Amino acid sequence: MNTESAAGAESRHSTIYLLHDVVKNREAKGVAFRLRVPSLRIDQGEKIALIGESGSGKSTLLDMLAFILQPSAAGAFRFRPDDGKPAIDVDACWQNDDLNRLGDMRKRHIGYVMQTGGLLPYLSVRDNISLCRRVLGLRRDGTVEHLAEMLGIVNQLKKRPDALSTGERQRVAIGRALAHRPAIVIADEPTASLDPYAAENVMSLFLGLAEEFNSTVILASHAWRHVKELGLRRLSHRTTHTRDSKLTETVVSG
Amino acid sequence: MIRNLFKIFRLATRDYLHEWQMSVCFVLGLAAVLGPMMVLFGLKFGIVGAMMDQLIEDPGNREIRPVGSGRYEHSWLESVRKRPEVAFLVPRTRSIAATIELASEHVPRIVPVELIASDHGDPLLAPGSPVPEGLDRVVLSRSSANKLAVKAGDRLDGSLVRRYLGQQERVHLPLTVAAVAPEQAFSRDGAFVSVRLLEALEDFRDGRTVPELGWDGVSANTGRSYPGFRLYARSIHDVAGLRDAFAAIDVDVHTQAAGIELVQRMDRNLTAIYWAIAVIGLVGFSLSLGASLWANVDRKRKQLSVLRLVGFRTSDIVWFPMVQSLFTAVLGWALAVTIYYATAWVINGMMADQVDAGQQVCRLLQIHYAIALGLTSGAAVIAAGLAGMRSARIEPSEGLREL
Repeated sequence: MNTESAAGAESRHSTIYLLHDVVKNREAKGVAFRLRVPSLRIDQGEKIALIGESGSGKSTLLDMLAFILQPSAAGAFRFRPDDGKPAIDVDACWQNDDLNRLGDMRKRHIGYVMQTGGLLPYLSVRDNISLCRRVLGLRRDGTVEHLAEMLGIVNQLKKRPDALSTGERQRVAIGRALAHRPAIVIADEPTASLDPYAAENVMSLFLGLAEEFNSTVILASHAWRHVKELGLRRLSHRTTHTRDSKLTETVVSG
Repeated sequence: MIRNLFKIFRLATRDYLHEWQMSVCFVLGLAAVLGPMMVLFGLKFGIVGAMMDQLIEDPGNREIRPVGSGRYEHSWLESVRKRPEVAFLVPRTRSIAATIELASEHVPRIVPVELIASDHGDPLLAPGSPVPEGLDRVVLSRSSANKLAVKAGDRLDGSLVRRYLGQQERVHLPLTVAAVAPEQAFSRDGAFVSVRLLEALEDFRDGRTVPELGWDGVSANTGRSYPGFRLYARSIHDVAGLRDAFAAIDVDVHTQAAGIELVQRMDRNLTAIYWAIAVIGLVGFSLSLGASLWANVDRKRKQLSVLRLVGFRTSDIVWFPMVQSLFTAVLGWALAVTIYYATAWVINGMMADQVDAGQQVCRLLQIHYAIALGLTSGAAVIAAGLAGMRSARIEPSEGLREL
């Protein structure tokens, strides 16, 4: 449980994700899509941005990094959330159908912010934010209240998600992703559904809180402009189409 | 593990309450199918049950009477009585001789009564009550007991007359009321007596000697034969068989077999109709329950995926729809039972004056409620389990991207 706080500045260079030749093939309506990751390394405490148009495979990569999507093939897919412990072979977990282990790692180490929604409509804002903490059996320590205050939703804690505006819902989703102080926060276009002003506001709140919680951030966005000044490392990203445009391939590395 | 299940149980409950309109619809939909089925079964069980009870309880339906008068030897009657499907058999004497005049201390008038041959185990007499025995203990029919104003234990004076050697001769015989028979046993003035007493009275009228009672006459009767007998089959189901057995040896008998067959056929037909309806109802019920639960799981795929995203295991997630289905099953069952109770109350109220006291046209046993609950919960668990497993099998990322 202390791994999060241990992920401080002194261990900045330990590697959390190490991917080699990871491929995901998908097909929809006769058009094949392939995401290829020849090499990707993400260190603890890094802030990574994945920039590209929608449909270019950003979500696919994020889902694989969150262990909710199985790669079609992987040369290597290692995950080491605890510095000092041996890296976990994620691909082997998939191969062995060990979904419970992947679920446990996700529960403990990863927070996920979806593009929209993902809140449970039958829980109050407070319970939605505490959901991950509850699942982990963490005690109340004021984190939820602190997050609510930082995100400006203190007055909404007792409301249900359907009583909130879209922007407020995204703040709640960010709160939930951070509440259990995960080592990694993955966010899939967390501000895409907001107006530009609110988007900038929420984005800087998010990155500020992730910084405060010492979380590694992996962020997908279609607009580079407003994440550039936030100091994120941009992954190289190249999309090609075959001549008959039957195959779209995206190559990501970094 | 248990802790996770408890968390899932809480989440499922909160979701169920949050979506109370949906939940109410599911419960109503279930009760709308299950309630009428319970009423239908209650009616079938109540009506046919009452008819069968009546058939079985009324000994008249088990009676087999020879038509006309014959000559039945004692040994033959014994052999018939030993048949397993015969519950009771006593020989009858000539009915013209089977009468007596009774007098009691309480009323001045003399009451002539018919005598009915009886013995231990007479189906017309209340089980466990005293039976006619020897030459003095008799069981009076209700109507003769009323006319004589006597009750069990009272003394009676029986008298009868014969013409013997050109003279009218009257003899008296002290009798004791052993018991009074139930109202429906014999509706006219009558008395149940032992076969031995009937034989004595017949001998007296025939001018024969009856040494036990000190009555004079010609030598005692040897090689007695009887003009008839009272026979009751073990159950209504044995009546037709016995009738056929008698017909095979040219003994013409009168039975209620036709009426019994009618009710049995009605029971079979009603049962067949009921099962046809019940099977259709059950299939429809299972499909509607399964479809609604399946659709519900489908609808919640994104939410279930979110639960997996925050780290619930697949095996925990399956319990989410399961818990909700069980809520629907138990609440729907409870509502169906309420519907049944209300309907049965109205039906039984309407029919109360057409059936015997204590009988109900529409009724169910405890076990039937339990079976209904078991079937409903079973179907719910299976449907939710299948749907839950299906939603668990898809990759969480797919469920998440749905809107």
